[in-house]
Amino acid sequence: MVKIRLRRMGQKKAPFYRIVVSDARSPRDGRFIEEIGTYDPTKDPSVYNVDAEAAKKWLADGAQPTETVARIFKAAGIEK
Amino acid sequence: MPELISNESVIEGRARKAYLYDFYGELLNEHQRQVYSDFVFNDMSLGEIAEEEGISRQGVSDMLKRCDGKLEGYEKKLHLVEKFMKIRHDVEQIYGIAERLKTDIKGTDDIETLNKITKIEDISNQIIEEL
Repeated sequence: MVKIRLRRMGQKKAPFYRIVVSDARSPRDGRFIEEIGTYDPTKDPSVYNVDAEAAKKWLADGAQPTETVARIFKAAGIEK
Repeated sequence: MPELISNESVIEGRARKAYLYDFYGELLNEHQRQVYSDFVFNDMSLGEIAEEEGISRQGVSDMLKRCDGKLEGYEKKLHLVEKFMKIRHDVEQIYGIAERLKTDIKGTDDIETLNKITKIEDISNQIIEEL
């Protein structure tokens, strides 16, 4: 199965996340299939950027977003 | 164009946890650090972490709560995250004013003032980087 999850990037004290598509079996493994967006929680309110087309394609293919990514998608108006 | 998320408590909570970990994470034990960073940085579910660690979901949940308690406890005593946020905010304001000054003198040939403003920006950047 394929999952869409956040992965932290950015240096210490500057958390910054990528929204990535990766194999569900290796969540600790840094490898990912595709980056489909970014999420910056340091801004108030948080700023995100999502490639809606890619997100929809992956959702349609059965990729499972994590709870947090699902919230970001919802805020971005992305549905299956 | 970047879009903005309104106050989504779960998401905002993640940023706070990330900061708490960056400041006080070294004070957790190795096992706690692994579980906490899996949850906060790798966006793994309780079930996934439980599987990786060979413990129950409840065990993971308890550990995350314990870590939160510890990290929040340190912050309550030391306020390092709060101070960091305040200083960063203030320095960003200084930087913003310098940027506006630059716009103000644009078109003039006041090189001396421009150099001074650039120096302010450099120092602002340096403070943020070293925080």
